[in-house]
Amino acid sequence: MSPPRKAGGKKKTGRSTKKTTRKRPAKKSPARRGSSGKRSVAARPKRSLFGRLVRLCLLFMGLGLGLLVPWLLWLNHLVTSEFEGRKWDLPSRVYARPLELYEGLAMSPLALERELESAGYRKVASADREGTWSGSGGNYIVFRRGFRFEDGHQEALKFRLGLDGGRVSRLASPAGGGGLGLVRLDPAEIASIYPLHEEDRTLVSLDQVPDLLVTGLQAVEDRNFKHHHGVDPRGIARALWANVRARATVQGGSTLTQQLVKNYYLSNERSLPRKLNEALMALLLEWHYDKAEILEAYLNEVFLGQQGNHAIHGFGRASQHYFGQPLDQLETHQVALLVGMVKGASLYHPRRNPERALARRNQVLSSFAETGLLSEQKARVARDRPLDVTPGAAATGNRYPAFIDLVRDQLQRDYRESDLRSEGLRIFTTLSPAEQVAAEVAVRKGMQDLAARGLPNELQAALVLADVDSGEVRAVVGDRDPTARGFNRALNARRQVGSVIKPLVYLTALEHPERFNWLSRIEDEPISLRQADGTRWSPSNYDNRSHGEVSLLEALMRSYNQATVRLGMTVGLGEFTGKLQQLGVDRDIPGVPATLLGAVELTPLEVTQVYQSLAAGGFSVPLRAVVAVQTPSGETLKRYPLRLRPLERRDALAVLNYGLTRVVTGGTASALPGLLGSEATIAGKTGTTNERRDSWFVGYTRDRLGVAWVGLDDNRPAGVTGSNAAMQVWAGLFRALPLNPVSLDMPEGAHWLWVDPEQQALSAEDCPDAIMMPFVEGSEPTTRTRCLARRDDDDSSFWSRFFDRD
Amino acid sequence: MTVTDFRPVSCLLLLTLLLAACAGQSPAPIEERELEQRVRTPAREDAAGVQVYPLKNPAVAELTDQAERAEASGDLDQAAMLLERAMRIQPRDPELLQSMAEVQLQRGQYQQALSFATRSHDIGPRVGELCARNWRTMSLAHERLGDGRAASDAVDRAEQCMVTRPQGL
Repeated sequence: MSPPRKAGGKKKTGRSTKKTTRKRPAKKSPARRGSSGKRSVAARPKRSLFGRLVRLCLLFMGLGLGLLVPWLLWLNHLVTSEFEGRKWDLPSRVYARPLELYEGLAMSPLALERELESAGYRKVASADREGTWSGSGGNYIVFRRGFRFEDGHQEALKFRLGLDGGRVSRLASPAGGGGLGLVRLDPAEIASIYPLHEEDRTLVSLDQVPDLLVTGLQAVEDRNFKHHHGVDPRGIARALWANVRARATVQGGSTLTQQLVKNYYLSNERSLPRKLNEALMALLLEWHYDKAEILEAYLNEVFLGQQGNHAIHGFGRASQHYFGQPLDQLETHQVALLVGMVKGASLYHPRRNPERALARRNQVLSSFAETGLLSEQKARVARDRPLDVTPGAAATGNRYPAFIDLVRDQLQRDYRESDLRSEGLRIFTTLSPAEQVAAEVAVRKGMQDLAARGLPNELQAALVLADVDSGEVRAVVGDRDPTARGFNRALNARRQVGSVIKPLVYLTALEHPERFNWLSRIEDEPISLRQADGTRWSPSNYDNRSHGEVSLLEALMRSYNQATVRLGMTVGLGEFTGKLQQLGVDRDIPGVPATLLGAVELTPLEVTQVYQSLAAGGFSVPLRAVVAVQTPSGETLKRYPLRLRPLERRDALAVLNYGLTRVVTGGTASALPGLLGSEATIAGKTGTTNERRDSWFVGYTRDRLGVAWVGLDDNRPAGVTGSNAAMQVWAGLFRALPLNPVSLDMPEGAHWLWVDPEQQALSAEDCPDAIMMPFVEGSEPTTRTRCLARRDDDDSSFWSRFFDRD
Repeated sequence: MTVTDFRPVSCLLLLTLLLAACAGQSPAPIEERELEQRVRTPAREDAAGVQVYPLKNPAVAELTDQAERAEASGDLDQAAMLLERAMRIQPRDPELLQSMAEVQLQRGQYQQALSFATRSHDIGPRVGELCARNWRTMSLAHERLGDGRAASDAVDRAEQCMVTRPQGL
């Protein structure tokens, strides 16, 4: 220990002179004693009593000045500098999107219960505390917690909620109160980004701590806290006596101050010097700071359990961790449990050792009653309560690892890793817990079904779900085991996309209304193209047949390769690759014909980005997982607001959307309505790559866009096709979601017409074989069916008759 | 439906727009008074008699009321945040999109004002007051972005909101 030695060195000269003066007589005396013991004994006091005392004093002064004082100074420095400059590294908290409830919102009881569970709400008999709910069968009472949102603090609120027919049918104040327009729940905390030392903590100030916890803690751990100066000799004596009686260590004599010192400054070893240091530092701490400061530090520092590899420190975090409630909402029996855990957080862990925890809690409740903090009656009632901790799963951190990867990716552009780990940031994300759970279930179930059908057991999967208009990502699964950490296929697996790319070929064609509409004819015949390396490329169709002359619409619906390549080459490869870039694909796209059939490697997330623009009618938004980042005190550091980028030619995009709904009603995805059990208008596209290595399905309703991928990690042929694998997983997810039909309203520049598809001619509603179809302005058929022509003639003859009569 | 004539006010407006474009000054933020004068009032006049009042979701109404109060008190960031919340509930409400466009104008986010007004027009009625507000917002945004021709074209379109019904509805 260098500082004391240095300080001691300063006094060295003085001390050595004193030593020499003392040495001389000391050396002499043994000799004398040897010659005549008795005399010397009698003579010694007489000769040097005063001198000895002086020498002794000087010795101690020297030792004191030389060792103790510098040592105390050092300890003092340690205590004050650490305590005053104390700044705990706080983990960042990651929140899901808050659930907005209003009448008419599509919501099943299962989805509501998943939302409540993930937000740490406890089901109770009667919801009379924040963070609890009661009810079933469509009628619920929920006691919402207070929460500080970006647009202001929101008070706690108890409300009544009715669900009926898959919708919120009633939203009102409890017990006959008035209706409520909008109720926003506090968001689920879905993850924490921990400091490197893995300490988990939520700071509380003394006034946030319930009185019973403050007084009860003293009653159990340090009854004399208010009066002692850091160490409590009476407490030590009492503990010693108790230990002697029990012939074992049953009681510790450490004050709260000593415990804090131990937690705060010292290692865990048990030795006398350490005990002395602890006592000295406790005295110093009390000397410098008042009881309130010490107590507050203690309440935030005390170790209260281990969760995986992070340690829970302080009562604020412990309350959330074990009960899913803020500290000031805890009931008596819950406070007692936490107080009891101070003695041994793992020994009395309520989830791992519930019986011991219960016994300890009841013991604590008895001490509360003994010390008059609680009436015996109340203590008895509290002793009869269960532990009331939340199930472990709800409280474990990072339940949605694949989504959190995306959050980190987005934040890495603006924040350093170290800040995320220490500044206690509040990160507001777009995750929808109910939809994330549904996505995970869909992947698990889908993979089981595929295995049952004889597909390889090691098939992998990825699933992304996004809100169509805002680009907010609602769910991400990156592994067949959704809880697995590691390679996240949704974000990082670059795979050939196959036919999923084809719609863009048709889009570029529809952007030339003078040349193409859905009824235009194209040859689905063998085609051979020279590639850059001189070899020839001759794509074949999935069924190894050519289909002759087909319409653009049929070619898309049935995903014909030869027709698509011919169309793409007619319109121009450059337009196609340009379109990909316009839709947000950042990579270099090789300008070779094979890209028309999806010889482009993209991640599921990138595919989601491309289709977001299509699904949103040509208003592109960057996909987002984070909407805002705040400091712990609620100051907004960064917002990621909704930013739209309108694409050109939204008329053609809208017309393309119609084609994608036809893929579902009569094309390669025609099994989908059966899988979903719904005829709602949905747009979709299957994708299969060479030798069935990858299976893709992209589909969207009016408000949700989902991208599913299934394949093998090593890119071997997997026997999968778009419709036999990925579409099954996709359907598994969307079965659990409200299916709002895709809007096919046309924007300016496109409109619906009655046509006869065979004749490629304008027709009318009451004519045979007439269907309605959207056209980009300028692409409308110019001929009329005979039926329409006859009717028009009739009309004109009617008018001529009308005018003739006039 | 009556055909509205070219009002002298509009000509004056056009002239000022063109002059502003020539001057090429750095764009000053648009204040609510100006928004009222140049977007909302003329749009109301254009549309006199042809009004569509869509039924509003009460949850959305609660948020838009709050947003209006925030806007009136000059807290435009808060207004934008509240409108974004409302849009999560009703993403394709043309009124909501137009309100956002107007807030973005006042925040000086002209590109975003353009985008939201364009979207509102794409999915809106493309006729009547909302249509006129769409185009007048686009006009102001174009003007501030230094595109005088697009600004004056947009004013023409605003005036047509009463004249022609778009095809294909």
